[in-house]
Amino acid sequence: MTVAQRKHHDAANGIARAKTLILFGMGIYLTLLIMTGSLDNYINQRFAWLVVVGALLFFLLALVNFYSSRNTAQRDHEHHHHHHHHHYHVTWDIVLVVAFPLLLAILIPSRALGIEAVNGGVSLNPVGVAGVSRSPLDRNILDWLREFDRAATPAQFNGTPVDVVGFVYREPSHPEDGFMLARFTLSCCVADAFPIGMPVIADGAGDLTEGEWLRVGGQLKASAFAGDFLPVVVAEMVERVDEPAQPYLYP
Amino acid sequence: MISHNARHGETPERVKFIGLASIAALLLIAIGHQANSSGREYMLVLSVFATRFLGIFVEAVPFLLLGSITSGLIETFIKSDDIMRLLPRNRLGAAISGAFLGLVFPVCECGVVPVARRLFTKGTPVSLGVAFLLAAPFMNPIVFASTYIAFGFGPVFIGRVVVTILVAVIVGTVIGAFAKPEAVLKPIALGGGREDHAHCDHDEPSTRVKLMGALQIAGDEFFEMGRFLVFGSMLAALMQTLVPQESLLALGAGPIFSVVFMQVLAYVLSVCSTVDSFLALAFVNTFTTGAIVSFLSFGPMVDIKSTLMFTGVFRRRIVLYLILLPFVMNLLAGTVINALLGYV
Repeated sequence: MTVAQRKHHDAANGIARAKTLILFGMGIYLTLLIMTGSLDNYINQRFAWLVVVGALLFFLLALVNFYSSRNTAQRDHEHHHHHHHHHYHVTWDIVLVVAFPLLLAILIPSRALGIEAVNGGVSLNPVGVAGVSRSPLDRNILDWLREFDRAATPAQFNGTPVDVVGFVYREPSHPEDGFMLARFTLSCCVADAFPIGMPVIADGAGDLTEGEWLRVGGQLKASAFAGDFLPVVVAEMVERVDEPAQPYLYP
Repeated sequence: MISHNARHGETPERVKFIGLASIAALLLIAIGHQANSSGREYMLVLSVFATRFLGIFVEAVPFLLLGSITSGLIETFIKSDDIMRLLPRNRLGAAISGAFLGLVFPVCECGVVPVARRLFTKGTPVSLGVAFLLAAPFMNPIVFASTYIAFGFGPVFIGRVVVTILVAVIVGTVIGAFAKPEAVLKPIALGGGREDHAHCDHDEPSTRVKLMGALQIAGDEFFEMGRFLVFGSMLAALMQTLVPQESLLALGAGPIFSVVFMQVLAYVLSVCSTVDSFLALAFVNTFTTGAIVSFLSFGPMVDIKSTLMFTGVFRRRIVLYLILLPFVMNLLAGTVINALLGYV
């Protein structure tokens, strides 16, 4: 084997090893996402099975890649020359680019989208079509916006009890004792995440930090809020809570 | 083939490293700048970017794997000759069957060029080959599934099916009417093109060996295509994290301009058709529906990487037609959809 051949051979071996490692690492990463539940930070729960399929396929490809690169290495050793049957020539820069998601996943702690991800305001309009109507105290923010959407008048909800969870969102136009309780909706994955919210009026609202998660109980009352006339939650109970295990609402 | 040609003019590894490093540095600077100007904490902005990027990647990657494995299986197992004999020879019939042939050869846009070249060397009508080339990357079960999961059965899904078939059949018929096979393919591709399975025919290997070979090709394809998914997801996530909603709405509201913008984006991003639906989702809240449909129907037909592959197989003039005709027709289709849905 000449020096040039050996160099080429070593480089190919290094890349083959890196490929196996990345394929295997991706499989581990997807498995961890499922097992720790942080998958819920990224995609709609409904599609979790796809990630299971993805993890299994990564392990399969990692195994095949491992065995075939070992065989190639042995054959090269015996015949002192290099076989190249592949159509694609995977180089180091490609390997590095494909490793980027793993790097990001290792370096940056997994977090759900929250207040920092709100870009351009929180919508008062619901997403998707209304499903089965739930009893008032079981409704989440998305359910409520859908009810409002199909109601004849905002006043028809006056006095209805509300119990919802969301994070605090503020705009300069909001009254001093008011804010919006917001959630992100997720149809498929975070790419389509869309923030929606309900207006809330509460005593001591000024002490609340933007972005913190609350459970708010109270009654609805049609009122003016930031220039709109709509059902507003008049809070009777405001409780600080942890971010829910499922941070998003699924339309 | 193109990957081999590209290797001769290979950029030195060091230059590639510097390129990658500067992209990474620019990314960090952009995020830092955004964090500064909006008063948001640097780490928080970075974590929003990471969540968005990984979300798209995680949702899309199973489809990329399925696509890579299918491609490997076709490469090792399927012989095109038998299917070819069953297809119609008249121009329109050939174009229509070409548009649906993807259901038999479920290839994405990277796999379609070699298969189309093989079809041409077997004496396929030009209209069939061209329609196949344009439609096949979408007309396949995996891409149907990913589009359905991203958008459900609605205007985007239906629009993508209708526009893809229409554009593929029309462009196939038009090019078929004006060009003979000799005028379509480069001489090297036409005459005695290397038989893809030549080395397998000598000593027909066992199914197990072929299966291993298919999965090995799949692994390589995953890397080859994966980088486009990484770049595409990165751009989509950056855009959502850094560009204010108002600016996106301004770009995405025009009934014609939004379509042009998304088609150019589809061309540049070069993302595999199995996963492009998930990138399109990033634009759903800000762009017209026609623009989304055109992004999804034009992208799989032509993009930077398929243009590179085209130039290795087709004559220059045909490559130009293969880019321009679909661009104009998808633009038309997107604009019509916007008019029908009432975006003015």
